[in-house]
Amino acid sequence: MSLRRRVFFTVLLFGLMAVAACVFAPMVGSAPISLRRVFDRSVPFADNADAQIFFISRLPRTLAAALVGAALAASGVVFQALLRNPLATPFTLGVSAGAALGAMLAITFPISLAFAGVSTVPIASFAGALGAVGVVYALSTVRRHGLSTNVLLLAGITLNAFFSSLILFIQYLADFSQTMRTVRWLMGDLDVGSYAPILAALPFTLLAFAVFAWLPRSLNLLTLGADAASARGVDVLRTQRLAFFSASLATGAAVSLGGPVGFIGIIVPHLVRLLVGADHRVVLPASTLFGAAFLVVCDVAARTLIAPMVLPVGILTAMIGGPFFLWLLIRRG
Amino acid sequence: MAVAPSNRHVEHRTEVVRHGGVALPGRNSTSLETAPASACRRVPVIMMLIACAAFSDGCSQPAASRATGQPRTGPPQRIVSIVPAVTEMLFAIGAGPNVVAVSSFDTWPPEVKGLTKVGALLDPDIEQVIRLRPDLVVVYGTQPETRTKLERAGIATFPYVMGGLDNLTSTIRQLGAVVGRPREAEAQAAAIQARLDAIRQRVAGRPRPRTLLVFGREPGALRAIDASGGIGFLSDIVALAGGDNVFAAEKREAVRVGIESILAAAPEVIIDLHYGRSLTPEQIDKERAAWKTLPAVPAVREGRVALLVGDEFVVPGPRLVDAAEAIADVIHPARRR
Amino acid sequence: MLQAADVSFVYGPGQAGLHGVSVDVPGGGLVGILGPNGSGKTTLLRVLGGMLPAASGRVTIDGRDLWRISRRDLARQIAVVPQETRLSFEYSVLEVVLMGRYPHLGAFELESQDDVAIAREALAATGTLALEHRLFPTLSGGEKQRVVIASALAQSAGLMLLDEPTAALDPGYQVEIASLLRRLNAERGVTMAIATHDLNLAAGLCRQLVLLREGRVIASGPTDQVLTRESVRALYDVEADVHYHEAAGHLTVVPLRRIRARD
Repeated sequence: MSLRRRVFFTVLLFGLMAVAACVFAPMVGSAPISLRRVFDRSVPFADNADAQIFFISRLPRTLAAALVGAALAASGVVFQALLRNPLATPFTLGVSAGAALGAMLAITFPISLAFAGVSTVPIASFAGALGAVGVVYALSTVRRHGLSTNVLLLAGITLNAFFSSLILFIQYLADFSQTMRTVRWLMGDLDVGSYAPILAALPFTLLAFAVFAWLPRSLNLLTLGADAASARGVDVLRTQRLAFFSASLATGAAVSLGGPVGFIGIIVPHLVRLLVGADHRVVLPASTLFGAAFLVVCDVAARTLIAPMVLPVGILTAMIGGPFFLWLLIRRG
Repeated sequence: MAVAPSNRHVEHRTEVVRHGGVALPGRNSTSLETAPASACRRVPVIMMLIACAAFSDGCSQPAASRATGQPRTGPPQRIVSIVPAVTEMLFAIGAGPNVVAVSSFDTWPPEVKGLTKVGALLDPDIEQVIRLRPDLVVVYGTQPETRTKLERAGIATFPYVMGGLDNLTSTIRQLGAVVGRPREAEAQAAAIQARLDAIRQRVAGRPRPRTLLVFGREPGALRAIDASGGIGFLSDIVALAGGDNVFAAEKREAVRVGIESILAAAPEVIIDLHYGRSLTPEQIDKERAAWKTLPAVPAVREGRVALLVGDEFVVPGPRLVDAAEAIADVIHPARRR
Repeated sequence: MLQAADVSFVYGPGQAGLHGVSVDVPGGGLVGILGPNGSGKTTLLRVLGGMLPAASGRVTIDGRDLWRISRRDLARQIAVVPQETRLSFEYSVLEVVLMGRYPHLGAFELESQDDVAIAREALAATGTLALEHRLFPTLSGGEKQRVVIASALAQSAGLMLLDEPTAALDPGYQVEIASLLRRLNAERGVTMAIATHDLNLAAGLCRQLVLLREGRVIASGPTDQVLTRESVRALYDVEADVHYHEAAGHLTVVPLRRIRARD
């Protein structure tokens, strides 16, 4: 099959999967609702509990899950290619630790950054994510000759550890209920409550996706190594910069929207590679769509398994992702 | 910066809640503006809930225990309390002058401000406690290691176990016996019981509105909502105050609920507790406005969302009666004069 | 075709760089860059390929300064084969070879049937067409190297730079790769510059040699003239027997013993 047909059919297949998940998800939940009543215009919205459950609870959750899933899966693909390491995740370079530090500070200290209908914690975590990205990038370009992926990796791991220690320090000073809320935040939560945070995350994610569209062919060559890619005509430094900043932006937006939902960025790209091969022109769009579908379905499970309580979706993805990750390690070893 | 609010202020705020019932903008906000709401910054409510959940079976009979070979002569003169609720009880029964140190979370009554702080549930500073040479240390029942260490040092302990609303008066009576003030304790317990009974009588026979009690969520948004389940003093207060807890079927203190569950539960009254830090009137308005995104919830539609601010709602000490009265006034507003 | 004139490059104090190196790779030529480990061979190759900017001196291809040419245009003229290629993902052999078509395609352009035909022809030329659907990481070392050479061929560049193309291979594959390179040079007119420390590979394959030691050219010229007992001693501090081997048809070098460095 020609590449053109492969890309077309893969996008079609995974696109249908994502659409099906997004259509199915708002129909199920802990409370039974009638679709007819949801779309019944004769009942005013303020009195229509079914419509409110649908439009205020389930639809924003579904859209948030789709956006977060797509962003994390796509960033996972980009980071794995950039670092030439199939075990890299969107959180390897410290983006999530920076976001967690921001969220922690917002939860612990009475600061208000609320803006345009978005509450303080998402904004603080996004700021934290951008801060971490800046630090990692600055560290990795201290030495000459562009972006060293080794330094990038080490800087990310070090920053992860350092931010984690700062988080523990602040947690130690914070009161127990604040600490508890931070721990809960770290589990990931898609109960966004309104469309405002989704709309706020959307432009950043779309900007990142627009950059992603340019990347796949160069990412293919980047996995050969910087010199080999350069010898085949890739502007390596530019590709690395674009990949790093776009994937970090998408990750930061996703984490500020839904918390650091783990393992999406590694499960999804690997499953997709098993199905469609390694070519990033197929893997990247397929992972984006499959990531959306995967997290939407996980979220349905998270909000129905122990209803009326809600399981943080990150726990669910980690329970699926942990064993999967081990299987990958064993398979590769 | 934490300035201890005087009793007058607390009375003032309680007045607001009593009269207003639902904290609506306007008169009540203005009143709230003058009140420093809460000066206490750290309330380990979830900690206490967990402590209760995990160990409530273990030691249900708190009583002073002490190391063998140390004959007690008279009531304890130097008391360390690392349980804020018990600190409040000690002051209430007149044992305040004997309290020499409290936990890092203690802020009430104002007298504790000047006292030594010796850590809390997770990080009690045993060395400092021993150095203070107390003859009674109030600890959590979930701190067996701390108890063992203290008893090895020959110091008597009073293990506090959290429970429902009943626990309040029973703990005060036990405490009175241990610190040699049984009459004062009995008087306090009786007064508390009388006020609780008065609430019960006032709401008796009235329809019981479906009530949602939220004791934690993300500021400014309906996210990460922790609500009261069917166990614990908050759930007991809702029942006493004539409300029907919508999550009573969940047999646990805290439930993390999504907004779908709240929409489905359709509470007629929502009580949104805020504590640990003071809120400006603007913040109170903003927090109340967060609920406006759920207009199908009867409580929102009918303007029966009440924001209650104060540590008395989450520290199960003698002030819990104030909390119960405030909650009762929300669920069953008193008729206006 | 490709010329380096008085090129210098300094890594840092205590590290061997390049010092006033001049190299001429004539069109259709087969030039060996010979030297011990750490002599600057790989650095020189990277400078020649435009991957590393020289600190001073000029590198030109057909008279044009390398740094004036875009990465993409350069890749259509110069292909590079590294010593070893590790892929972090499981690409098929055909996909790896098609990566050579990168400089010929626009940003969103997909490979056409023509590109696939060129890639398969390159596979055929390196005797690896049968492997086209295998996954690259499952190949043996010799197969991998031939596929990477095919990928460089698919670049349709007139010049190929190879860095120790046989160093990681056993003698069987070494002979195979050497004859492949000779054939590509003879039949397709691919100009080659090969960095190696292997005296006999260079002797058998290259028509010109550049001897590099500690970042300086100590001799250069036609293989028959440059490869002598004296030059081998100067290059490696090794006493060697250099003689014409009838069966092989070229000079061979048999190292005899190590002599003490003069300094």
